[in-house]
Amino acid sequence: MKSVWHIIRTQHRYDSFHFWLGIFVALLPAAAGLLLLGVSGWFITAAAIAGLSGAFLNIFAPSALIRAFAIIRTAGRYGERVLTHDATFRFLTGFRNRLFASMAHRTSDGRRSGLLLNRLTLDIAVLDTVYLRLVVPLVLALVVAVSLLLIWSSISPLLLVTGAVFISAWGCLAVWTFVRSDTKNARRTDAALDAMRLRAADLAAGRRDLAIYGGLEAAAETVLAAESRLAEAQEAEDLRTSKLTAGSTLLGQVFLAAILLVCLLEVGRGTLTAALAVGLILVVMGLPEIFSMSLPGLAKLPRVALAAGRVMGLMKDRAEAGSAGDRASGKRAVTAATGVLAFEDVSFGYPGAARRVLEGLSFYVAQGEILALAGRSGCGKSTVAALAARLRSPGQGRIVLGGVDTGRIPDAELRRKITVIGQKAYLFNDTVAENLRIANPDASDADLWRALEQAALADRISENPEGLQTILGEGGLGLSGGEQRRLALARAFLTRPVLFVLDEITEGLDAATAGDVLDRFLSYRGDAAVLMIAHRRQELERANRVLDLTAPRGGVNPSPETILSEFQ
Amino acid sequence: MCPLHLKWESDTKRPMKTKREKIGKVAEDVGQGYRTAVAFGWPDEGESRRLKRAGRLLAVSDLLWIAQAGLISWALGSLPGMFLAADDSLVAESDLTAAALQAAAGIALVALLRVFLQNRAETIARQTARAIQSRARGDLLSVAATRSPSAEFPSSGAFAAHVTEQVDLLGPYYRNFEPQKLRLRLVPLGIVAATALFSWLGALILVVCGPLIPVFMALIGLRAKAASERQQEELVRLSGSLLDRIKGLETLTLFGAIERTQQQIGDAGERFRTGTMRVLKIAFLSSTVLELVSALGIAFCAVYVGFSLLGEIQVGTWGGPLTFAQGLFILLLAPEFFAPLRAYAAAYHDRAGGLAARERLATLFPAEDNPRPRPIGADGFEKAGTHQLSSPPAIEFRSVCISHQQRDVFKDFSLAIEPAETLLLEGPSGSGKTTLIDGILGFQEPDSGEILVEEVPASALAAVLRRKVIWLGQSPRLFHGSLRANLLKAVETPAAVPEDDLWQALQLAGAETLVQRLPRGLETPLGEDGFGLSVGEIRRVALARAAMRKDAVLLLADEPTASLDEETAADVINGLRTLCNGRTAIIATHDKGLRQIASRRIDLKSLGAVAGGRAFA
Repeated sequence: MKSVWHIIRTQHRYDSFHFWLGIFVALLPAAAGLLLLGVSGWFITAAAIAGLSGAFLNIFAPSALIRAFAIIRTAGRYGERVLTHDATFRFLTGFRNRLFASMAHRTSDGRRSGLLLNRLTLDIAVLDTVYLRLVVPLVLALVVAVSLLLIWSSISPLLLVTGAVFISAWGCLAVWTFVRSDTKNARRTDAALDAMRLRAADLAAGRRDLAIYGGLEAAAETVLAAESRLAEAQEAEDLRTSKLTAGSTLLGQVFLAAILLVCLLEVGRGTLTAALAVGLILVVMGLPEIFSMSLPGLAKLPRVALAAGRVMGLMKDRAEAGSAGDRASGKRAVTAATGVLAFEDVSFGYPGAARRVLEGLSFYVAQGEILALAGRSGCGKSTVAALAARLRSPGQGRIVLGGVDTGRIPDAELRRKITVIGQKAYLFNDTVAENLRIANPDASDADLWRALEQAALADRISENPEGLQTILGEGGLGLSGGEQRRLALARAFLTRPVLFVLDEITEGLDAATAGDVLDRFLSYRGDAAVLMIAHRRQELERANRVLDLTAPRGGVNPSPETILSEFQ
Repeated sequence: MCPLHLKWESDTKRPMKTKREKIGKVAEDVGQGYRTAVAFGWPDEGESRRLKRAGRLLAVSDLLWIAQAGLISWALGSLPGMFLAADDSLVAESDLTAAALQAAAGIALVALLRVFLQNRAETIARQTARAIQSRARGDLLSVAATRSPSAEFPSSGAFAAHVTEQVDLLGPYYRNFEPQKLRLRLVPLGIVAATALFSWLGALILVVCGPLIPVFMALIGLRAKAASERQQEELVRLSGSLLDRIKGLETLTLFGAIERTQQQIGDAGERFRTGTMRVLKIAFLSSTVLELVSALGIAFCAVYVGFSLLGEIQVGTWGGPLTFAQGLFILLLAPEFFAPLRAYAAAYHDRAGGLAARERLATLFPAEDNPRPRPIGADGFEKAGTHQLSSPPAIEFRSVCISHQQRDVFKDFSLAIEPAETLLLEGPSGSGKTTLIDGILGFQEPDSGEILVEEVPASALAAVLRRKVIWLGQSPRLFHGSLRANLLKAVETPAAVPEDDLWQALQLAGAETLVQRLPRGLETPLGEDGFGLSVGEIRRVALARAAMRKDAVLLLADEPTASLDEETAADVINGLRTLCNGRTAIIATHDKGLRQIASRRIDLKSLGAVAGGRAFA
């Protein structure tokens, strides 16, 4: 629940003017609606008395009031909708932005399941409604309740007591929902939904494997098992909501009966005029609508809380990551220059892993040199690339770029100095031009075509009528594995770094394509140094030096010479 | 929160020809020719009936308000008169108290009944909607499970989204919207009838105002509706794009593009807000019209009642002036006349979502290019029944023709494979290597000719065969769950497998050290598609999984070394060498390195297979 509160506070802080404006405008139609009922009831009763007794009745004041309330109610509804939605959208924009910023600082643990990311979209969608479905109706109910209690207290104690009993009953209902909210069930719902999504995705993508190993029907059964767990959990949630609604409706109706009784008693005693009594009764008729507005929001509270918790969890990590970044921007320790890039006694292990991937690794890449890292898969080559690109930070030792510890180089400068070309080029669901301009936002169209030309992708792109404006990625133009690699290359061809890090850029390519990609890269790189994570002969052949990570390393602290071997 | 649109049409008269069968039935049908157009998420007859019943119960609960309004009017009816006869006020007070008590008790009793009916209606609608959803999911999955793995299939992301979110959208539609239709038809009629009992003019006001609403709303709402739907899509795109950027964060980080992207996301959000608000300002007008007309309707009633009571209007009743009780009664009923309209409009959003989802579900599965309803003769099944495949089988292709999208892959193709031989299939991409393996597994039925395993048609033997085969594809797929669970998928009785077998299999695949390095060893959970492992590591684990199947008599491998580094490829070849031993083995490959383990090799291009020359990048 704390996280829901946090979300509300965040929204309030983000734009408190629109936050309160929305609530204030929402009050108008609610109040006007109740007053409309009350005045109408009063008016027709007064009219009936006047009609029977022949006494004079000023019909202009009440009918003017009725008109005014009707207009305020209708116009207020409109204003309320516009303003509360506007407030929500304002918040939504700011919120997404913050979320992205906080995620951006956590790339170091780069492993994230794409499908589980979808949960994030759902979570945000849930949070979007907190203001509209929870904050506004609750504040509204509170204000209406307090005002009514004040009015009743000025009329008669019996009325006040009756009103207070029923309003506190509504309050209890809300508090009960809040306190006894079934977080466990919400968790079950989310877990079942995730399980269903993941298993369905597994089933779709792995049908061939499943047909032979494990069976498709069995896989379908597991999805259906998740679905029945989901149905069960949702049914439990719905049952609560339905009880809540029934309770609230019944409360409203019984309140009506009670107020009828009380008002008639008071009229009999002469403490209340007939017209006012009818007016009061009609006001109570309008109450359930206002008090029941917050029910759906309240019933969904446990799931909202979970979603808020997950999202706030992501946000919180940002603070920690941020403080690490501050440390990095501290003073710079300059050491003796040992080439463009140097690893000094670097060790690294993935959290929780029994064995460290790298142990006391030292090497350097000289100016203009191509250093290939070789070794069987799993020996830590890709980890070296991630460390060099500061996607991860070393457990021990230092990584030095141009004489400065990479931990102390500001991000913008580091990114300008190092270009990484990886195994998997991510295609954004955007135009070719936007996909390329990630590397260099100032590149002209001519620059983009030149880069595509150099990467041998220009023909493929110009085949499409939209050219650079062709949409890539999901639902757009699908590029094959080789073409994606070329796009990554084209991105790199828009940068001029001092060091290129190549992470198995030819993986999955046939020999001819691989050779072509490598040659195109080498002709572009100029005098930049290259750290190449290699896994095939073609790559090793093009290197100046080869460092074999699987070669025996001798002692704990091997000197660079012992692990370097010249490639014949 | 707001009823955006209201449209008047009876949209759910579904065509009877799309009547749905139960899951089992679909599965049966699919076993033969695959069904192409399957409608998902339609209610069956019983479910339609139940939804109608929920609507009727809701309507009855609404109409009971007439009784409550009557009680209220009756109890309050004597109020104005009371003040005229001031002398009898004592008598009047006791009368009043008695009437009030009776009315209050009556209202509370009817209230209980109303709440019970509403609750009942809601429960019925909810459970029916849930049943429809469950069935839709069951149907989707049974199609997925029975469709041939070589047939076209939606992407895993799309399939998962359809099974979860799209089916979810059906729920609110059936549960909130469908019952409202009946309610809308019954309640206003009842209210008008009750009003007409005392005043035909009051009823007339309602009858005139009611139909005005859809007219006005249509005028304002139609264009706004289309625009707001576009805006909804825009919102989906907005969150999609955020997600897309988060997925590609590493790329953005590496190019130092984080801050720029943040700026873009902010701008896009702001653009979306201004655009949406422009549309919503119009869209909300349609619900404002609803409010306005209902307010006007009630106001007209109030004015009519007020002036009648003042004695200034004498028309509209069935003779005699309108009494206070009657006037109050008419006024109390008027809002309920408009209530179902508002509920209908509020649920209209659910309708749009539900209908769109149902349409998307219907087009999820691409139509199969050439369904082959070739029933396997009873003869074939008879032969298959006796086969347990306990020794390496002989396989024969007899004049097989197979075509894909009008392109012949095999034309009059014949090939005999001896038991326990290791056959290497060579040939360029598109020469039919994968199709041949699919044919043996029963994923692919020949258009003509026969594929025989031990003299039995392959498709008749498929069920047994798939349990007795070691299969290794070029892009094997690992599943969510622990590494151990993934390995055990290959065996039928996972509980009976000793720990040693797992390690033997891993050793054969050269994956021992890999597993030792993982944080939790064999219990390490894998994400979708072997998440967390590199391409080479996934292939090793897949090889280990294949090796778990010790009782296999057949080995089929499709490009087992494609795009592997030399070391992993060497390990895979070594592993395959061991696995081929004592089994009939067919390996499709480009890799010359695999020739060392083959006892025979054929080039498909020279063997009657028609190479269409379709190359893959």
